[in-house]
Amino acid sequence: MKPAERLAFAERPERRFALAMAAPGVLVLIVTTTLPLLYLIWQSMHNINLAMPGMDRFMGLENYERMWGDERFWAAFGFTLIYTGSTVAMQLVIGLAMALLILRIPRAQWVFRIAAILPIVLAPVVVGLFWRSLMLTPDFGIVDFASRSLGLGSHNWLGDPVLARVSVIVIHTWQWTPFVFLYMLAAIAALPSDLFEAARIDRANAWRRFRYITLPLIRPAIIVVVILRMTVALSAFAAIYAATGGGPGTVTEIINLYAYRVSFAELSLGYGAAVAVVLLALTMLVAALLFRVRREA
Amino acid sequence: MKTTTEKSAAIDLPRRVAIKHAVALAGAPWVLRHAHAQSMDLGPYQNAKINWRQAEGQTVNVSCISAVYFDNLIALTPEFEALTGIKVRYDKVPPGQIRQKVVLDLSAKTANISTHAADPMYIPLYAANKWTEALEPYLNDSKLTDRAWFKPDDMVEAWRRANMIDGRTYGLPFMGETTIQTYRKDLYDAQGLKPAETFNEIIANAKALHNPAARMWGFCMRGMPGAGQNMYIYPSIFRAYGAKWFDAGGKIQVNSPEALAALEWYVMANNSYAPQAAQNWNWPDIADAFSQGTLASYIDGSSAAPVLTNPDRSKVIGKIGYARWPKGPSGNRVGSIWNWALPINAALPEKARHATWLFIQWACSEETQARTSFKWKGPNKRYDVNRISMWKNPDYLASISTAGHNFINATIDGMTLDSDVDWRPRVPQWPAIGETMAKILQSTLVGQIKPKQALDDAQIQVERIMRGS
Amino acid sequence: MRPGAALNAVRGGVLMLAAATLLTVWAVPVLLAVLTSLKNEKEVLAYPPSLLFEPTLKSFVTVLTGPTNILPNLTSSLIVAIGTTLLTIIIAVPAAYAFARLKLPGKKPAGFYVLATQLVPPIGLIIPYFLILNKIGWMDSYQGLIVVYLTFSLPFAIWLLVSYFEDIPREMEEAALLDRASRWQAFWHVVLPQARGAIAVTVTFVFLNAWNEFLFAVVLGGATVKPVTVAMYNYINTEQTLWAQLSAAALVAMLPVIVLGILAQKHIVSGLSAGAVKGTGRR
Repeated sequence: MKPAERLAFAERPERRFALAMAAPGVLVLIVTTTLPLLYLIWQSMHNINLAMPGMDRFMGLENYERMWGDERFWAAFGFTLIYTGSTVAMQLVIGLAMALLILRIPRAQWVFRIAAILPIVLAPVVVGLFWRSLMLTPDFGIVDFASRSLGLGSHNWLGDPVLARVSVIVIHTWQWTPFVFLYMLAAIAALPSDLFEAARIDRANAWRRFRYITLPLIRPAIIVVVILRMTVALSAFAAIYAATGGGPGTVTEIINLYAYRVSFAELSLGYGAAVAVVLLALTMLVAALLFRVRREA
Repeated sequence: MKTTTEKSAAIDLPRRVAIKHAVALAGAPWVLRHAHAQSMDLGPYQNAKINWRQAEGQTVNVSCISAVYFDNLIALTPEFEALTGIKVRYDKVPPGQIRQKVVLDLSAKTANISTHAADPMYIPLYAANKWTEALEPYLNDSKLTDRAWFKPDDMVEAWRRANMIDGRTYGLPFMGETTIQTYRKDLYDAQGLKPAETFNEIIANAKALHNPAARMWGFCMRGMPGAGQNMYIYPSIFRAYGAKWFDAGGKIQVNSPEALAALEWYVMANNSYAPQAAQNWNWPDIADAFSQGTLASYIDGSSAAPVLTNPDRSKVIGKIGYARWPKGPSGNRVGSIWNWALPINAALPEKARHATWLFIQWACSEETQARTSFKWKGPNKRYDVNRISMWKNPDYLASISTAGHNFINATIDGMTLDSDVDWRPRVPQWPAIGETMAKILQSTLVGQIKPKQALDDAQIQVERIMRGS
Repeated sequence: MRPGAALNAVRGGVLMLAAATLLTVWAVPVLLAVLTSLKNEKEVLAYPPSLLFEPTLKSFVTVLTGPTNILPNLTSSLIVAIGTTLLTIIIAVPAAYAFARLKLPGKKPAGFYVLATQLVPPIGLIIPYFLILNKIGWMDSYQGLIVVYLTFSLPFAIWLLVSYFEDIPREMEEAALLDRASRWQAFWHVVLPQARGAIAVTVTFVFLNAWNEFLFAVVLGGATVKPVTVAMYNYINTEQTLWAQLSAAALVAMLPVIVLGILAQKHIVSGLSAGAVKGTGRR
């Protein structure tokens, strides 16, 4: 056999092996997501209102047209962008900083790792409730008490529209930064240390080491963790629902919560499905962009 | 020499004992339940001239929320199972999700849930979709119901009527409550105040005791948005101001001048005299605040009484007084009507529906109501039984007398005199309307929008909902 | 002492302080849960919040042995979480390896498909899953809920593992292959041990996600499948929130995951240190 043919021939077992390894996963996903997804899209093209049984009908894209003019949807859309953007950014910055920090203290690392896992382990429902009732309640909660003691006064942390938004972002960031911390910790610690030795010998300071060596090397990991955190932020439900219910009014309503309200509180399943589809499209768009960036890394 | 079987029996003995112990430990609750079952007295039930065992072997699936009254019923269920041979399985669903889960099951006709704790404001929805059975055929079928024993008309009328559409009943009330004034009798007495008879007096009383610097707020109502949350209180004010949900042409109207006045009063009262946190408070939060001694008065459900008198939590035991809703400017007192209704899922096969009916009949019967309330041996007492005759029963009254001053009269009056079945618009679109109004209510409360604008916006949204788009 | 060393010591101290502060801030809500679970219900709502009080284990006793105790729910959660985690790892690890390393036909579109499936908002899936599970009779069943959870955990696990697999240097595998090992043997004996840390992290988070999931558990579960996330609501009943008991229940519910995390983190450590040794292999 010629060398080129030999190479191609040698590849076939690998391809078969690869298929065997990946097939179960991909098949399971196809089965469990494609059918429901198709159903969702079908639903979004109908008017299905459980409260008005006689009015179910095919609507084509009318639900989407309605969404275009739906103020509450755009408000939710806007807040979703703010919420997702800020919490993922903060998680990344704080998590990365924590990881870099902790890596300098090799001995006590396990303490931090265990402590870091605690917020993530607390059920989101409980997180939302605790923050709402025990911590942020004006005049009754601990955070409020602390801010008063610090002279910052009492504020309506969950009732004031602006503060409520800040609060839910803080709650989500609080809960999930440890994930970024742990992930980045593992990623950075896995980097070959001789590179750093070389840099140190070259008298590069910490910042330069970080910027020119660490950062490019962990870029793929950063992208993965950003995608993962972003999907969680976009589908956040339990904590916001428990903390503010989307309030006051609808200011802390992210698209996910809005879809839930429309489908289950207003019983308008078709429109709710349409909102969910739009959320999916948005998520896929952002993920596609990030994915492309990763490919280039 | 022992035969093989004897030997194996002898060898097995310690193992069998161990297994028995293990089973006993693992199944201890089950064993206890059945031990209880042996000692139960089914006599009162067997007085009913029906065959309790006619649906033997069926399984009834009940979805309910976590609450004292249901917990007591669940613990009592072995008696039902012994009486009827029907198995009952409970699924406890959080109150925020139960309506959705049930609607999903009913609309898909998947018949997973035989009966459930139903919100009466959802009954119009159920009826319009024919998801649950009209109960008259069951009530009137002498093979299924002994009317003389069951006494359906003994159940609180307002609650029964809240579960009826077009003269047909869709659910029987298992428990219920009404909203009443709750106030600190000791503080009122000290200042010579009397419970309010009018809305103005509420404000006056609140003002007299309002002292946020000393952590005492004068008055409070729910602020948390939700069809069953802030929209549980506002409609009472709405009706007390004389507003009507339906205009002359039968269309829903939420922005009449009376409605505006009601909203303005609600916003003024809460913003002036309630803690700021109340904008997000539901009734457990208010009950907590009151029991910690930080509220002088509030209006909410009568079934908060157990919380306020719980020695583990409350600092105000013995200092509580109750009174009816005050009169609004129109002269009406309009309390809430609340009950958890038990319907029958229409998607069930016939035998299963009969079994479900037997369960409902048992749960709502006088004997069971008694056994879960004043005859209950545990610490949790019920303040919310469904039979008006029981509200005159001295044993029951004795068991709830610890609630506080005038609790019984206030509650009875509230249930019988201050009830208005249509205090909320009983249309199938209520879930959507309730949620919409709730959001707008809270937005107004936090000052995001002015009352007039809020109601006009609400009107537009409600019209859209009623159009079905 | 040389000035550089003193500066280093100060810097080290500042770092420790910063880390400790961050840690405390992060731990406050959990500490709050711990404190609350030890208080009497009356104490919980005291204001100013009380730090000194007589601790009692009453809430834990009630939560673990009372009439509405959460032991059956913990069991339920364990079955769901363990089932989900096992299935996920068995399927995801080979798949991630294939994506990261092998010439997989259709890798790019398949890869993006896997990622995309994770992006479907759960809210959109509730109703379809409800209908489908009912159709096949898997409503309120363990296998039903586990399969539904696979939809989220598989893509998550695959993506978590792919980047780790990509980071493992190829030399060792190629050496094994040159030694006439089959691809499977190379994978099993050479690559997997190096990925121990990554797998440990994945196991922890997949378990955690399944353990803490609420929405699907509520809708698709019932009298049989009743995880602890739903059961915790028993302490938030319609009349009152039993804060001490809720905290106790939440803490008890956290334990299995914390135990798993502690066990897993040993592997994370060994995985990481292997990486460090490898990195200095040139010396």
